[in-house]
Amino acid sequence: MKMLDYPPSHLEIVDNFLNGRFILHSDKLFDEIKENEGFYKSFLEASFGYKLNLTQEFAYVTSNESNENLSRDISVFFAILCYELDKNGKNFLEELNYGTFRYSQIDELFENSSYQELIATNNKLKDSNARKNLFNEMSRRNIIEKENDDSFTVTSAYKVFIEFASELAKSKISNGSIQEPGGSN
Amino acid sequence: MRAEPKTILRFLLENFEALRDLFEIQSADGIVKKEILKTICEKYDSNIQYQLLDYKILHAINDDFEFHSVYLNLIEFVVSEFRPLLPETIEKYNTSISQLYQRIIEGIDGDKAILKVRVAELANEIRSFFELVERNTISLLKETRNIKANVDKIDYREKIIRASRWIDEYIVPLNRILDVNHSESVANRLYNIAQFVNSKRLSFSDEQLRLQFEQLYHLIISINDGLLRQSKTLTTELLPLIDRIRTESLILTGWIEFLDKPEKYDTPAILKPVKDFAYSENVYLNTKEFFEQFSKEEVVYLEEEETEKEKWIFNKRYYKNKLKENLPVDDFFGWCAETLAKEYKTIEVEKFFQIISLLFEQDLDPQVVETAYLIQIKTDKTTIRIPKITVNENA
Repeated sequence: MKMLDYPPSHLEIVDNFLNGRFILHSDKLFDEIKENEGFYKSFLEASFGYKLNLTQEFAYVTSNESNENLSRDISVFFAILCYELDKNGKNFLEELNYGTFRYSQIDELFENSSYQELIATNNKLKDSNARKNLFNEMSRRNIIEKENDDSFTVTSAYKVFIEFASELAKSKISNGSIQEPGGSN
Repeated sequence: MRAEPKTILRFLLENFEALRDLFEIQSADGIVKKEILKTICEKYDSNIQYQLLDYKILHAINDDFEFHSVYLNLIEFVVSEFRPLLPETIEKYNTSISQLYQRIIEGIDGDKAILKVRVAELANEIRSFFELVERNTISLLKETRNIKANVDKIDYREKIIRASRWIDEYIVPLNRILDVNHSESVANRLYNIAQFVNSKRLSFSDEQLRLQFEQLYHLIISINDGLLRQSKTLTTELLPLIDRIRTESLILTGWIEFLDKPEKYDTPAILKPVKDFAYSENVYLNTKEFFEQFSKEEVVYLEEEETEKEKWIFNKRYYKNKLKENLPVDDFFGWCAETLAKEYKTIEVEKFFQIISLLFEQDLDPQVVETAYLIQIKTDKTTIRIPKITVNENA
């Protein structure tokens, strides 16, 4: 009896996807997904009703049922991080792309943030321990990569959240919810 | 009576602070209001209104005043406070340079005196063009760095607008003017002129004009180098910098909007891993399916116990002949599994391992298909993952 030819790491790929992980460009699994894009699109759709999202830098699956709370917490985390980095005169995109973040640095940024009220009422961000849990979840999903006990880097998966902010601004500007200050002359 | 040049220059020197203030007012407002002129004169405790008009540094527009363009350019140059010009203003040199060049070609064998003037004018126009481009690049860099450092304390939305304006209205069109590969660009025009002037500087009969062409040629060569530098600054420094400002400001605008009401927006979808709890409606079927895998094996096992099977002896000749009849075989292990399945219904792992020993027969030529994925063979006891192997007759 001859079995169907599956990609060699099929089991690992599906396991990663089903656990909500981002598979990154640097991972050998990524090349396999890219080579078999058509197969995985239809396989994930037919088997689980999931949609494959494949970019140049990462792959992940989505379904109608999203983990809204986690997504919102991660979005708030990135929003405050970008805002505070910019406030401190840093190019936040460069920091996200190439920087290493120490947990103590994040604590300092969040403790001195002007969004204190929002942070205090968010269970995943309210203090250092709560944030550690969020980082663990983000690490499990390959959104950040822990370097050691003190620091982590952000993977390219952050772009999903940055894209969300960018699109939100564009839609607000285009529908006039955000006024263009001073006109455009 | 017109004032002595030295008197005017001395006046400029002695009253430079007041003139600088007036210059800044005009740069910002486009005009110097009568009251402001009065305030500035009082500030420096000097009554210079009369000289300003007499030396034609300012001229009156209704009740207000405006710098004469020569003095405006002079102060602009001295204090390096250039305002970026719209590329349309620079583009006009395309016409003037082209026209002069055309007239020089047409009149190359004509009146030498007028030809000399035209060559000199062309050099002036090219020089002025380059000065404007250089000033514009400097001023654009300065403006961009100001946006980056946020000296004007503007918010992110205003930053997006300014950055977009600099890119769309100034930098991209200016770069087009400097693009030597673009047939209508001024840089391309200069390139063609340089070729023409190069031939004339070597062969023109009139010595004085030959010298003039020589100077023009070197001017264009050095200006072309300068334009290339400016173009490089625009594309490698200015454009990425301002584009990043625009992108970052857009993202921050979105984040600020989001942080205002985080619950209001649908954040990016991320998968919720599916877990089956003991009370899930899927658990019964999933568990049944799970145990059924083993129950099948159990049946096979029991059958084996009930029927005392004779020890199977591998008939190598029989299977080898069978294999040879089917040569070439493109999936050897698949063939072995199929053959056993046909003859015995199940694939017993012992039989399978014996039959695959045919692979070592010398008159057969096995080859691994490197690109193929591993194939799976499900035997009675286990599932084997093995590479795909083709078998041909060994010639």
